[in-house]
Amino acid sequence: MNEQSKITHVPAQLGEEIGGPGKAFFDNVVIDNILDALLELSAATWTFHDRVNVLEKVLEKHGINVSEEIEQHLPDDAEIAARAEERAAMVQRVFGSFVRRPVAGVSVPSGEKS
Amino acid sequence: MSRGQIGVLPRPTTLADESYLEFITSFRRLAIQEMFPKVAEHGEVALAKALDKGEVERPDGGQPIKLSEIRKVFGQNPVTPTFQRFVRTQQEMMWRRTRESFYRDIDAVMEYMADAEAKHPERIHIDPNFVVPDYTRREIHCQPGGYTDDPMGGIVFHYGTKVFYEGFNDQDELHIELAEKAAKPADGKVERILDIGCSIGQATTVLKGLYPEAEVWGLDVGKPLIRYAHARAVEQGKHVHFKQALAEETGFEDGSFDMVISYILFHEVPVPKMKEIIAETYRVLRPGGVFTIYEFPSNDKNQVSASTRFLVDYDSKNNCEPYSPAFVASDFRGIIEDAGFVVEQGPGLTNGFLQSLVARKPE
Repeated sequence: MNEQSKITHVPAQLGEEIGGPGKAFFDNVVIDNILDALLELSAATWTFHDRVNVLEKVLEKHGINVSEEIEQHLPDDAEIAARAEERAAMVQRVFGSFVRRPVAGVSVPSGEKS
Repeated sequence: MSRGQIGVLPRPTTLADESYLEFITSFRRLAIQEMFPKVAEHGEVALAKALDKGEVERPDGGQPIKLSEIRKVFGQNPVTPTFQRFVRTQQEMMWRRTRESFYRDIDAVMEYMADAEAKHPERIHIDPNFVVPDYTRREIHCQPGGYTDDPMGGIVFHYGTKVFYEGFNDQDELHIELAEKAAKPADGKVERILDIGCSIGQATTVLKGLYPEAEVWGLDVGKPLIRYAHARAVEQGKHVHFKQALAEETGFEDGSFDMVISYILFHEVPVPKMKEIIAETYRVLRPGGVFTIYEFPSNDKNQVSASTRFLVDYDSKNNCEPYSPAFVASDFRGIIEDAGFVVEQGPGLTNGFLQSLVARKPE
């Protein structure tokens, strides 16, 4: 294979379709934002639910019942910081749409408005 | 990093990615299978009433209702923009997370493709001087980098379309069906098969399994897709050739194929290119050869429902399908006949949205 095949970057002019300020489908863009948030939140909820399920099954395989210990667990400073960072990332995913699109009254790219 | 495969499907690189993307798959299924039919039903009823009341102009004999009128009537239902918002958002979520997931494993994915090329360089045909035309460099379906410009585009397309197909094609079920149903020449001679616009070769490899004695070629403009297709075929032990080329300029000899297939290719090219591709296919088929086409519906005789036109229009604008409206409006079958083919109705697929045609080159 030639050298060209080893290139691993996407040219700057592409990769923009799903970037930018985003499309709006409602006259009130806040509705778009709330629905985006709802989807991200639902996806996150399911993802966490899935992980806890898997975690419990793995531990059970090792004969460990963790329910009580989880309730008694107290995090140290490093864990608190790490969890705060993860939490902020989740907030960004769920509520990012509210900062992505301009506020009402400012022109936004039209999605499919009839 | 790799978590292996689910049958023939690559598994996302973390459990969190997999859970998130499976959620989107389930959500998309609800939006497309349950939500859209309600939008469609409501819109069709509202449109019929608007026509009766004279609020929408009834077109003269056999002419389609104006798309702007369909948009207006369907848009009066508040569920319509909700559906549109949801489908657009899930598509964005899907591409972001799919790319993020597989990019974590980029070195292994690139090595997977390079290894296959080292083992079987004779089965992958990439001209280093090939120039990708601008018209193909579009982020079709909103895929970042499109088919042509993301080196990881093959694996990203593979998992991304798993979500798109709502989980119904995880093991290439749809590609198996369309390859099995592809028409054979009347004389039964099948020595060479070509899959144009083959993307990651899902149907191409199935065709090789169905016709093990035939020489099978997959052709696509997207090098990232071709490289991934080749690696998959090598992994599956399928002796298939893949070539980066334009379907309108394949570089093959006149009359050198017995069968050609295309799956949802034509709505992704401009109509003039569609005509060139059909002429090129006619050229490379031998007399008696057969071309099986699975494609978006055409509305040349006003045979497509208002709700389907509404969906295609939405899809064009919001799922980056720049060429599909012109395709749908075209007399696709007539264009194929004009090229010299004898066209008949093709085999039905489980995906009832698509039309299929069988075009035979006269003896």
